[in-house]
Amino acid sequence: MTKQHLILRNLLSSIILLFIIIGIIHDGFSQAITQFVSIQLSPARLISDFISIAGIGGALINSALVGLVGLVIILKLDVKLSGPTFAAVFTLMGFGLFGKTVLNIIPIILGVYLSGKFVGKEFKEYIIIALFGTALGPIVSLIAFEIGLTGVLGVITGISLGIITGFFLPSLAVAMLHLHQGYNLYNMGLTCGFLGLFAASFVKISGHKFVGQMAWYSEKSTLLTLLIPVLSLFLIILGIIIDKKDSIKSFFKIQKIPGRLPSDFMDIESLAGTLINSGVIGIVGTLYTIIIGGDFNGPVIGGLLTIIGFSAFGTNLKNSWPVVFGVILCALLFKLDLNSPGPILAAIFVTTLGPLAGEFGWKVGILAGFTHLVMVMETGGWHGAINLYNNGFAGGLTATIFVAVIQWYKTNKTEFKDTFRSKMK
Amino acid sequence: MRRKDIILNLLSEISSYILEEDPQRMVISLHQEESGLHLCVLDSNHHSDEEIEKMEKALNSQKRPELAGYYGAMTGHDLLGSSRLDLLGWQVKHADVSRTDSGIKIDLWLGGEEFESHRFSIPKE
Repeated sequence: MTKQHLILRNLLSSIILLFIIIGIIHDGFSQAITQFVSIQLSPARLISDFISIAGIGGALINSALVGLVGLVIILKLDVKLSGPTFAAVFTLMGFGLFGKTVLNIIPIILGVYLSGKFVGKEFKEYIIIALFGTALGPIVSLIAFEIGLTGVLGVITGISLGIITGFFLPSLAVAMLHLHQGYNLYNMGLTCGFLGLFAASFVKISGHKFVGQMAWYSEKSTLLTLLIPVLSLFLIILGIIIDKKDSIKSFFKIQKIPGRLPSDFMDIESLAGTLINSGVIGIVGTLYTIIIGGDFNGPVIGGLLTIIGFSAFGTNLKNSWPVVFGVILCALLFKLDLNSPGPILAAIFVTTLGPLAGEFGWKVGILAGFTHLVMVMETGGWHGAINLYNNGFAGGLTATIFVAVIQWYKTNKTEFKDTFRSKMK
Repeated sequence: MRRKDIILNLLSEISSYILEEDPQRMVISLHQEESGLHLCVLDSNHHSDEEIEKMEKALNSQKRPELAGYYGAMTGHDLLGSSRLDLLGWQVKHADVSRTDSGIKIDLWLGGEEFESHRFSIPKE
């Protein structure tokens, strides 16, 4: 076992344990467990803030256990703990606060496992798809608890459809990668959104009407406000302790990486620099939320946890600011409140488009961010809010159109020049 | 993935890398055996020691099945941005990069668990 693997294993296990302890201390053991159980029975579609639905204790425990499922699978399969797996565990924990439950993620993972078996692949080759594919967990919850099937029949049907959904994810995930060529970090968001369109259509034709639901916790809580900055500060300190000499230098080198998929900052640079990058992104995200007067609740904290994770796998300050700035511009232009659910989540998750800014410059980044907010305000309804990575879906669509146009421009412009030159001769 | 598709993707990625420097000459040789294959690519460009070292490091990167199985599908499909040798590195068993009189030679060895590149039998004739 490498030193990096050991440090990350202990770090992630400690965070998971800490969430459980805080959850139990905050609400007491029996109440926290009751809250946790009620979360498992929730429909879980976007935006289901588990803190609002059940309570802080239960939500933190659910987040921890959803993350634990991912970590155990990673360790069991002996997959390296590095950028993508670090991102996966943080994303699982993040969405464990607003949509993923222990009950609804396991069938999806099982489906991906069976898909691998079907084509003779080892599960570890599909581990990233399995972990991020849990964005479609609400399909399980929707079928089990929302469309009118009752009791065991509902649960069995939900689990079965979850498995079938997971089975199709690997084939689609690869196809979606080719569409945006790695310029959308949350490729599974695009994949799950695409598949979600089909799933939602089947549900709609069977007579079910998707009723918009919004659970959004907006009470002030010191615990929730401090959770991300304290964690971020800890990551920064840990990074400095690991490599006192070069960690800061490594952090600045990470800022120069475009971040296109797959960019494992821990491999390309170092563990120490990456942890500092994660911590800094967490602090900046928190400051942004405070400045615009945003709520610290399940979705916002979940979003911040996700970008902390992806700061090991594509997100850095340099490639993020243009896309975030694009979202802010768009919100101001169309008179949307920056602290309302759509814009605040878009500003956090738009970092999925960071690689566009990293590769093609800040102007493209701002345009992409602007387009992203326009798209993300619409896309949730398309898949009936069953794809938790709605920003990944909108980001994927945005990246695809930007990549197509840039590619067309680059190839045709060169061709024109060549033709021109040959005619001149 | 079928062997033919893997080879096509590898060829596309490595030749894209070489062509970025606009060489006057590029030669690709492929030799297949039942348990593995050898792909040899030569070019006529000057490459610094630092670049060669980076290439060798990227091509002999640690095996990452969790990345190769999923993101490895991008190998050979790069239309925007620069080609990336680490995508190849996750898939090849071993790689050598050496200087020639006019440029460099890249040897890529692919094979299953039992495949050993030093036992590979390139025909004399």
